[in-house]
Amino acid sequence: MIERPHHVPERLGLLSGAAADPFLTEDLLRGVQGHGGVDLAKVVEPLPEDDARWAVEPLRDLVDDAMFQFKENRTDADGWLAPRLHATLRLTRREAADKRIWNHIALAVAPDYVAWRHLPTASEGKVPRINPVRFMGAPDRQCFSRLWWAAEMFRNGADYTPVVRACSNQDLIHNSLRVSLVDHRPTAQALVRILERGTATTGREINGLITAINTAGATVIYDAFAEDEPRDPWALRQWITDAESAPPVPRHVLPTGPDEEPVREDSVAKLTEYFADLFETAPVRGRTP
Amino acid sequence: MEAGEEFGPWLARQLKIAGMTQAELAEELGLTRAAVSAWITKRSVPRPTVMGEIARALGTDLGTIHTRTTDTQAGLPVTWYHRPGYRDGGRDGGNAAAFAFDADVQVLARETCQNSLDERLVENGRPVRVRYTIHELTGEPLEAFRAAILWDELQPHYLAVSETAADQKVGRVVDAGVRDMFEKGRLILLRVDDYNASGLTGDDYDDGKFAAVVRRQLESLKSGSSAGGSYGLGKATLWATSALGMVLINSTLSVPHEGRTERRVIGRLELPWRSVEGRECAGPAWLGRPDPETPGAEVVRSWWADTETVERLHLARDSDEPGTSFLIVGAHDVASLASDKADSVIDEDENGGSEDDGTRDITVMHRRLVEALGRDFWAAMTGGGSRLPLLETSVRTLRNGEVVIPEEKVDPGVTQPSRTRALRAFYEGTTVDRLTQAGQVALRNVPLRLPLTGGRRGTLGIHQGVLLVTEAEDRDGVPNQVHSLRGNRMTVRKAGVSGLPLGVNTFQAVLLVGQAAGDSAPFAVEAEEFLRAAEPPEHDRWGQTEELTLRWSHSAHYRISRLTTEVNAAVKELVVRPKSAGSQENAKLRKKLTVQRKTSAPKRASGPTLPELDGLTAEIGAAGEWRITAEVKLPRADELPAMSPVVLLDVRSGSRPKLDWAELVAVDGCEVEGGALRFAPHARRAVFKGFTDVTSHPVRSEFTRLVLELRAGAQGSEA
Amino acid sequence: MKFYPYKRLNRPIALRVMSATLKLPDGTFDPLDTSAYSVPQRTVALGVAQHEDWISARIGLSATLPPGATDADAPWSGLRVLAVLTDGDTNLRTTVELRQDAPDSKEWSGQIEVLRDDHAGRASLAAYAVATVDGVEGRSITETDADWTVDVVSEEPLGGLRLDVKQAGFSKSAREWLRPYADVPWVIDTSGRLPLVMINTDVEGFSDLLGGNGGGIENKIHELLLSQMATDVWTAVFHSAVGDLEVEPDGSPVFPTDWRGEVLREMLPDVAPGLHVEEALRRVHRRRTDDTGWVELQTRIHYAAVRRAGASKAVANALRALQQMNREDSE
Repeated sequence: MIERPHHVPERLGLLSGAAADPFLTEDLLRGVQGHGGVDLAKVVEPLPEDDARWAVEPLRDLVDDAMFQFKENRTDADGWLAPRLHATLRLTRREAADKRIWNHIALAVAPDYVAWRHLPTASEGKVPRINPVRFMGAPDRQCFSRLWWAAEMFRNGADYTPVVRACSNQDLIHNSLRVSLVDHRPTAQALVRILERGTATTGREINGLITAINTAGATVIYDAFAEDEPRDPWALRQWITDAESAPPVPRHVLPTGPDEEPVREDSVAKLTEYFADLFETAPVRGRTP
Repeated sequence: MEAGEEFGPWLARQLKIAGMTQAELAEELGLTRAAVSAWITKRSVPRPTVMGEIARALGTDLGTIHTRTTDTQAGLPVTWYHRPGYRDGGRDGGNAAAFAFDADVQVLARETCQNSLDERLVENGRPVRVRYTIHELTGEPLEAFRAAILWDELQPHYLAVSETAADQKVGRVVDAGVRDMFEKGRLILLRVDDYNASGLTGDDYDDGKFAAVVRRQLESLKSGSSAGGSYGLGKATLWATSALGMVLINSTLSVPHEGRTERRVIGRLELPWRSVEGRECAGPAWLGRPDPETPGAEVVRSWWADTETVERLHLARDSDEPGTSFLIVGAHDVASLASDKADSVIDEDENGGSEDDGTRDITVMHRRLVEALGRDFWAAMTGGGSRLPLLETSVRTLRNGEVVIPEEKVDPGVTQPSRTRALRAFYEGTTVDRLTQAGQVALRNVPLRLPLTGGRRGTLGIHQGVLLVTEAEDRDGVPNQVHSLRGNRMTVRKAGVSGLPLGVNTFQAVLLVGQAAGDSAPFAVEAEEFLRAAEPPEHDRWGQTEELTLRWSHSAHYRISRLTTEVNAAVKELVVRPKSAGSQENAKLRKKLTVQRKTSAPKRASGPTLPELDGLTAEIGAAGEWRITAEVKLPRADELPAMSPVVLLDVRSGSRPKLDWAELVAVDGCEVEGGALRFAPHARRAVFKGFTDVTSHPVRSEFTRLVLELRAGAQGSEA
Repeated sequence: MKFYPYKRLNRPIALRVMSATLKLPDGTFDPLDTSAYSVPQRTVALGVAQHEDWISARIGLSATLPPGATDADAPWSGLRVLAVLTDGDTNLRTTVELRQDAPDSKEWSGQIEVLRDDHAGRASLAAYAVATVDGVEGRSITETDADWTVDVVSEEPLGGLRLDVKQAGFSKSAREWLRPYADVPWVIDTSGRLPLVMINTDVEGFSDLLGGNGGGIENKIHELLLSQMATDVWTAVFHSAVGDLEVEPDGSPVFPTDWRGEVLREMLPDVAPGLHVEEALRRVHRRRTDDTGWVELQTRIHYAAVRRAGASKAVANALRALQQMNREDSE
């Protein structure tokens, strides 16, 4: 059983892959024994002191709450934690692209959460292990960065509601992040709509939908008829500045994201119909697996 | 009515031409010699009734005597005068300069335009206009022209040259020229007209522009101190371009000579020594009116021709604007052979003779003229702001008076887009300090420290040259060049900038020095003089010359080297991104750790080659399946591996879905076995067809982009 | 080979950057010199030492469509040209529409905004001509054949992948993880966004030698050392690139899009000669994941690394210099 480290740092830092590797022990991956945190703290590069965002406590509280609230249904923790993690950290995409911060959170701040959410699994005849990518892997696989990116890609401006919807389907967030379809905001919102409408719900259906969109996207440029608003750098900057005085994120209602322009409704509506048509007319649907 | 010459001088010349004395005229008119003398010395004019009698006496009409714009035809007729052989029996091989180089219309363009620029009338501020007319004559018009130039008088001379100079280049050229005219029945006239130029002023024999062109061999007579060429080497190119060594001239003078300006006509022939009908000829010959004042009235001089004569000689000018027309008779362009071999795409029909050797192709000549003018005179042809260009040029091509290629005005912006843009921006005052936008022109001042004359140490002053830098266009030719010009706006120096780092955007730079740097530039006049002295006769660089050494010092040319250094540094400052100290650290290691962006397709890897797809056609079938036909190119090998065709669909990003085959059919050179192709031994090509299983399509086929791959192995994935 | 189920233009769009202007926090604009971008390298370098705090960059674009795009009888309608900036590191996609310079012109221009907060390193810039073809909206009828790179960090507009090099004294480094390696001259870290070579300044004289520009034998040793380091680096990055491949459902590996992809494209032709890179990757991946063949492949991987590093030349030069020195000594 992995528990909260003895020594939890006060501030977030940067932990490079090379530096973190010795702490990704076999015991940790098997869920037997974590590390104390003291030695690990020595190899962390600090982040600037004067930034309130790098305080660990709000984040640590958040994962503790998640583990308590969702102990019966751990998968559901994603939809709860994703928007709150996002609204607590208040990162720019540039900052979020740095894997070192996620390595630090997973190994130094909350290895117990990683082990709790992603239990050791095993192929036949082997010892069950936690997939190491959950600690320090690709952004769409790592325990915390996948939640942050899901929140970032599926939020509609300041509104996190679509994030919760998207996280209710593991295949949706996993696949759409993997093929980077949702870098187009109207596409992300249309996917959530389709999920809401029940056009595609099962994992297999969602995968089929995403494959259809991705395939048609090789010749159809969705941006051409589903336009997005231009990005405003100031809304995000203001939101980040406000982190200084922001209270802890609300636990029962959704937090509010940066005050960015929501996605154009006509674009979402049009794409929703378009994607639904692609999906419903896909020949593969009739096939029995 | 044209304003004619004053009566007195006109009459005096007519008497001379007619070989008549004042006394003889007086006698014929029944008047005193004193009366005639009074007319000639402009003390009086004859009464109108006497005019008719004078006309009769001179064998002309009243009109001629009233207008006095032309000479009477009374005297000796226009003819060719061949300079007699030297008494010492010396034989020259013809004008050395005229036959020193191969005929090249591009050299002709450069030299003639340069002359016209030098002779530009500067007071009115307008450009000198130079027009090149290529005119091919055949049949009747050719006959008429030969009659006009008194071909029958010349024929024996050409025959003699063909025989006596057959082993010399000049002999072969002339022989080929004459044979071409008769065998192909054609003659190419290349005419160079300038307007708003001074014209061939001055006496027939004394110093002056006329004599410089017509009488002297190689001589320089420059109009202004900034003159780049001269009627020296430049004039020789006119004769060099004629396979017959013949040039006819009609000039309208800016300053009257003999009280006249229009239609001063003469022809000049350059041939080597020859003996014709027992008389030895030294070389040159002139077409003109015999000069009664010369011994035996044999030597000919220019004459004031009437409009009909200039028409017949193809020398008629568009207007009375001053300037000169040179008509090169039998023009050819030997240099086109070297330059056009590769890129000639002219239709056979347009060639005007299919068994042509190419040196007399009028459309090629036209193109080469336009090209050369744009290349060499882009700066002189560029204006901007309140500044008019110095030069305008055009080229047209005719055959027997019919237009073959209409008059084409040479636009420097087409042939030299970026340099022209740079100069125009300078004139218009729209240059910038830093280049922040493609298409801008940056201006930098670069110092030229002028030395003191006479070998004294020290600096006379610092001239600020103007360096213009702008983005290169493809049509400018070699990128990253600095073209340097002085007052005459000719490119003197072309040099690349060395030591540019990888990835620098291509540019073109223009350096304006001396009077080209503008009137307000300090020491512009002195710099102009200094650089002109540093310019060799080829006008292609600045460096050590005799003149520079004599007037300044042995080390004076270092000042120019330093200017070049300054120019290169200024260019780099504008086009090279400054590097911070940090980026220089470990530069060599970084270089070794760089994956270069491939600019060309990667070369084919060595090693065993595999069958490759070499053709694909596809369509969507009735059920929505993809139906493909593909060709496979097989390498030469005794044994080929089985290959599996795989159909994938392209995606926006990520992994590509694979489709299943419903059917795979061998068409040629192969067999299908368990979803793989096995190729027939020694076949070089194979063809197969396939239909996809539509139920494996993740989306309707019209929304897919098909990708067909051949993978090694029978299983469809060796991996 | 590819096949499209609709009519397209055969030739690509020529996309050019015309200018780059930084917007600074105080609201002013700083137009960068045109040397901030390189047309031959198709790269824009927005890193400027004086302005690390810029908010956004406005990049002026000009796209030239191939002939036929605007023909009256073209089999499409509603032609538009889009410039699209994508960044795989930050999942960012920015699309702007370019405007036709004049009716029927094949030149289209516009500008795209690059936000500093949205990018960590390099983004790709492409252009698409989209139109309605056979009733299908938004079809790409042609696009740029090679992307431009917009690098928000680099000061030099050079395309291609450049690995990171840094110097530090390992024993006292703030990067404490370096301390166990205090006795080696360099280490390689491939876990970051870009592979990083750390040079140990504790090894006396080492960084002097690397930075040196001396002549003679010293220079040759310097070269030799560099090629040795480069061989190490290339070997490490290749292993790292093949070690973490995403796999399609059928088991075949997906070509990575980040630096790993660039390294693989560069090195695979030497590792698995005679094969297309995709095929080569499949073969290498199979060897690595299967029980056999991976060990045998090491020779080729090493060969590919040595070639990249220019080791043969460095060794030959060093040997020649040594021979020369010996001759001089014996004379």
